[in-house]
Amino acid sequence: MSEASLTHEFQYSSARHQAETAISGMWLFLATEVLFFGALFLTWIYSRHWNQAGFDAGAQQTELAIGTINTVILVVSSFVYSAGVAFIEAGNSRRLIQCCAVAWALGVAFLILKFGIEWRDDFAKHLFPGPGFAVQGPLNGGARIFFVFYFLGTALHGLHMVGGLALVGWIILRARRGEFSPASYTPVIVVGLYWSFVDMVWIVLYPLIYLVGRGP
Amino acid sequence: MTPRFRRLWLTLVLLLVLLAIEFGVSFLPLDPSARPLVLIPAALMVGVVVTMFMEVGRGPEIIRLFAVAALLWLSILLGMGSLDLMTRIEYQVQASYPR
Repeated sequence: MSEASLTHEFQYSSARHQAETAISGMWLFLATEVLFFGALFLTWIYSRHWNQAGFDAGAQQTELAIGTINTVILVVSSFVYSAGVAFIEAGNSRRLIQCCAVAWALGVAFLILKFGIEWRDDFAKHLFPGPGFAVQGPLNGGARIFFVFYFLGTALHGLHMVGGLALVGWIILRARRGEFSPASYTPVIVVGLYWSFVDMVWIVLYPLIYLVGRGP
Repeated sequence: MTPRFRRLWLTLVLLLVLLAIEFGVSFLPLDPSARPLVLIPAALMVGVVVTMFMEVGRGPEIIRLFAVAALLWLSILLGMGSLDLMTRIEYQVQASYPR
C-alpha cells in the first residue's frame, strides 16, 4: 500500500504528516511527564539530604528481590514491545499481536508483584507511615519520609502502568481486527513510546528506592 | 536474524548488563554521601532506552527538540531545586546565651 493511498484527517496534508504529528504529540506529552516525575525525584534529593540516616534505614526495609525482578520484567517487556514494532514494519501482524500479549502479561506480572505481594508485605510489616510504624527511635522521622516517597512514587508509577496496559490492550484489539499494516501502524509506535517511558521511570525509581540507601 | 532484531537483542543484553553493574555497585562500601553514584548505570540505561527502544534518532526533527527540552527543563528543575542543599552553610547555635 503506497502512502498516497492511505487516508488521513482533513487537517493534515498527508498520512505521513498525520503520523508525524501523532508521534511528536506523544513526545511532547512525555516531556511534560519528565517534569511531573522530576518533581518526585527532587523530593527524594531533598528528603534524603536532610534525613540521610533515617531515609537509608527506611530503604533497607524494602524487598530488594521483588524490586530487581520487577526491573528485569519491565526491561524485557519494553524489548518485547519494540520487537512487535519491528514485526509490524516487516508486515507480520500475527507476531505483533503475540509480542503485545507478552508485553501486556509482563506488565500484569509487574503489578501483581508490586501491589499484590510487595505492598501487602509492607503493610503487614507496618511500613506504611501511620500509627504503629515499624521503624522507631531517632531514625523514625527519616524512615517515615522514605516510605511516603516509596508509596507515592510506586502508586504514581503503578497508575501509569495501568494506563499503559489499557493502551497495549487497545493495540492488541486493533491488530486482531487487522487495522495495522507496514504502511499504517502509527498507534503501535505511539503506544510503544509511552510503554518504554513507563519502563524508563521505573529504571530511575529502582535505585532510588532499593539501592542507594541499602549499602553492603 | 535481521540487523534490526540483532540490534534489539543487543540492547536487551546491554540493559541487563548495566542493571547487573548497578546491582553490584550498590553493595560496595561507599560513603552515604557517595551512594547516589549508583544512579550512573541507571542514567546510562535511560539513555539506551531512549535511543534504542524509543528510537529518538528516527522520525521528525521536532521529537529531538522535545527530548532535549525535557532534559534541559529537568536539569533546571533538579539543579535549581538543589541549589539550597549545595550552598547552605549551617552555623552552630549556642544552646543558651550567657547573661
